[in-house]
Amino acid sequence: MNELQVYLFVALILFCLGLTGVLQRRSLIAMLISVELMLNAASLNFMAFNRFLTPEPAVGQIVTLFIIGTAAAEAAIGLSIILAVFRRYQSIDIERARELKG
Amino acid sequence: MEPLMAVIIPTLPELIKFEWVAQAAFYFIIGVTLAGAVSAVFLRRIIHNILGLIVALFGVAGLFIYLNSEFLALMQILIYVGAICISIVFAIMLSDPMYKEDPRRRLTKVFASVLVSLLILAGFLSMITKTPFEAAAQRSDDWTVTTVGNLLLTRYALVFELISFVLVVAIIGAIVIAGQGRKQRSLK
Amino acid sequence: MLDGLSFELLMAIVASMAPVLCFGLIMVFTRRSISASVTVGIIGSFLSWFASLYLFLHYFHAEEAVVFKGAWVVSASLKIPFGYYFDPHSLLMLMIVATISLVIQIYSIGYMAGDPGKSRYYAFLCLFSWSMINLVIAPGLLQLYIFWELVGVSSYLLIGFYFEKWSASEAGKKAFVMTRAGDIGFFIGIIILMLTTGHLSIAVFGNAAEVGNTGLSQALLTLSAILIFSGAVGKSAQFPLLTWLPDAMEGPTPVSALLHSATMVAAGVYLVSRIFPFYAASSTAMMVVLIIGTITMLLSSTMAMTARDIKQVWAFSTISQLGFMFMGLGAGAYFAGVFHLTTHAFFKALLFLCAGVFIHHFETNDFFEMSKAGARKMLIPMITVTIGVAALSGIPPFSGFFSKEAIMAGLAHKGNIWLIAGLLGAAMTAYYSFRVIFVMWFPKGEVEEHGHGHEGGHDDGHGGGRWAWVTEWSMLSVLLILGAITLVLGFFQKELEHFLTGHSAEHHGSQLILVLALGCALAGVILAWFEFGAKNAKQEGFLSRMKSVEALFSNRWYMDHAYRKLLDYVVYGGITNTFTRNDRVIIDGGIDGLCRFTVSLGRAVSRIQSGLLQYNLYLTFLVVALMGLYFLLV
Repeated sequence: MNELQVYLFVALILFCLGLTGVLQRRSLIAMLISVELMLNAASLNFMAFNRFLTPEPAVGQIVTLFIIGTAAAEAAIGLSIILAVFRRYQSIDIERARELKG
Repeated sequence: MEPLMAVIIPTLPELIKFEWVAQAAFYFIIGVTLAGAVSAVFLRRIIHNILGLIVALFGVAGLFIYLNSEFLALMQILIYVGAICISIVFAIMLSDPMYKEDPRRRLTKVFASVLVSLLILAGFLSMITKTPFEAAAQRSDDWTVTTVGNLLLTRYALVFELISFVLVVAIIGAIVIAGQGRKQRSLK
Repeated sequence: MLDGLSFELLMAIVASMAPVLCFGLIMVFTRRSISASVTVGIIGSFLSWFASLYLFLHYFHAEEAVVFKGAWVVSASLKIPFGYYFDPHSLLMLMIVATISLVIQIYSIGYMAGDPGKSRYYAFLCLFSWSMINLVIAPGLLQLYIFWELVGVSSYLLIGFYFEKWSASEAGKKAFVMTRAGDIGFFIGIIILMLTTGHLSIAVFGNAAEVGNTGLSQALLTLSAILIFSGAVGKSAQFPLLTWLPDAMEGPTPVSALLHSATMVAAGVYLVSRIFPFYAASSTAMMVVLIIGTITMLLSSTMAMTARDIKQVWAFSTISQLGFMFMGLGAGAYFAGVFHLTTHAFFKALLFLCAGVFIHHFETNDFFEMSKAGARKMLIPMITVTIGVAALSGIPPFSGFFSKEAIMAGLAHKGNIWLIAGLLGAAMTAYYSFRVIFVMWFPKGEVEEHGHGHEGGHDDGHGGGRWAWVTEWSMLSVLLILGAITLVLGFFQKELEHFLTGHSAEHHGSQLILVLALGCALAGVILAWFEFGAKNAKQEGFLSRMKSVEALFSNRWYMDHAYRKLLDYVVYGGITNTFTRNDRVIIDGGIDGLCRFTVSLGRAVSRIQSGLLQYNLYLTFLVVALMGLYFLLV
């Protein structure tokens, strides 16, 4: 296992942990936290490939910057949605927001 | 003393083996990251989760340093820890009160999600191990912030503008969404 | 496409397209303003008439047919032209149609005065002239067929013009459906011709020398000829399909004059005479034409003998005269048939328009009542109607005499039995038409003077004020014009024959036939005189002494009853019922079942939707993971 694969493996574990959280936590905020973990896994991947493989090592950094920016936007939106949900249901438990039930 | 120090200091790198230290620190950072991530996901108190996330983010920032990008490591700490995590903390304070008992987790749900995660883990793991990664034939070793800044304002200027636009829209959207709920509530 | 735009072509386009332009103008722009619509319609008809006249005179001495045409449908074995085809026959017919359309439109100024739907009426008249003119000058059977159907449509619209009247709209429907029934045969015949010869050019089917070279077998030729004839049967109200025409009298009288006597119903005769060499090539088809014509003529003559409605009498006489034309054609006398078509167009239009004047004035259709109300005080219409009746009965020197005599000669050529039938028909025609005339000239019993009657001329109060004379003279002038044409047209027999057939045959009718025909006509007139005209006549036909026969005649030989039974039992009871049930049970039921199935399926599937977002996400990732594993491991 060379150095690149170590990074990829770490990122993979981060991603899977995040996925577990998204699938399993009932609190919307906890889900948001897990999503941030998954995003970090992705940016870690970009950085690793940038470090070891690409011809231009500046590009991966730029992509990661963009990911961070998008994550900021996503967090802003997500949090405001969480607030709206809380106002509506007096709770941020995802299992109580089930108006789409058929 | 002087001569001894004079002897020791030049030989210290050989004694401590700087590469060992770096290697150890590397695995330590990985450990910290994963531990933070685990606590961000599996702990039951939401405030512990956010603390775990912060730890994990610091760990990732450390990994960025290992990947030759101090700038991004700083950005990571600045934006993620300084902005996102803080706003999440605000959201925690604005939503469910802390004294409220957390809902019990259902074991079937936990097992099922762990199962899916393991499946994906297995899939990607085999992908990671099987794929022969090869570096590009010619690689520049230009990691500097100067280059990143140049590229951002030249080749990626449009994308840069776009991301700023996305941020603006996100902020407006956040205000609208959060404000609407308030209006609805006041109508009720 | 059309090769070069010459002045003649321009004139042809004007002649054929001016009416439809007017139709569009009236429908789109001037529907609100009646006077504008009338102006537009009459200007359009006049342009069309003028162009037709130009073409008629210009090509009068043309050696062979003048054709403007382009390819319309072209494929490997199929070549269907469209455009204009001017030969003597189509020019003559074009002239008739254009002239009568024009005078009818002028006449309608008066007749339709005060009718709120006048704009619509003029639009429909224009539509009709357009379709009829294009039918007449079509170079191919397919174009002819298209305008044939358009003529049917405009006929439907005009019969049902008073659509608020139940009987009128029913009559329109009946006319449309019955003519359609014949048109199906027509269409099948066209398809047969199209498949076997690959073209539908009238230039070929109308040329005796070329009909033999089309490659049609004798059986197919006969079959398609009879099928095409069935279209003519429908349009010209011949024997099995004749009952729509009397009902079509529900339309305004000028419409009856234009469509249902002079032009549209003559289209059937025109169709047969148009491709006459084609028919002449099949003796069976000719025999069918002859037999149908004879049956029709005799049947409808008997029907006319009992009718009391003046328009009905003229309608039946139209049917019988059309039958007479078919007899002439079937007997092989091409010129006689076409000549009779020409003279008939004018005198029958004249008769209808006179009837229109009376109807307009007395507001009744019953000529016994008209007579009592003082019809004979209206001199001009009375004189012209007498001229028309004389022409219809074949009294010399009016035009009908010449053409009937020509047909008689043709029939005598064919065989004595046909001649006898023709003579019988002529006698009956004279009898029923002079019955009308004598009743109107010599009213019997109480004569009640019509309220606003004779000395004020024809001031009927509809036109009103100082425009009354327009109303009046628009009608009377037309009567005079048509009367004059009827009077003189017979003397142009030789010229017309030369024009149509290229040679002026010697008068081949023998003196005997002349005497016989005249004798039969006179016998009918005399019988009518003794029953209706003479001083002590009771004005009751000899038929009233034979009640059952009279009932048979006045019920139109129970043909309507038969059709009604057919409709009730076969169409409504059998076919319609079956289809209705099929519709309700199978189609509706099927669709309802499908809907119910979809709804219940939706209900069932919606149980899966738990509303839990994480559950959906879980399944998504599960599928992704499994797919990823599949691609990695396999």
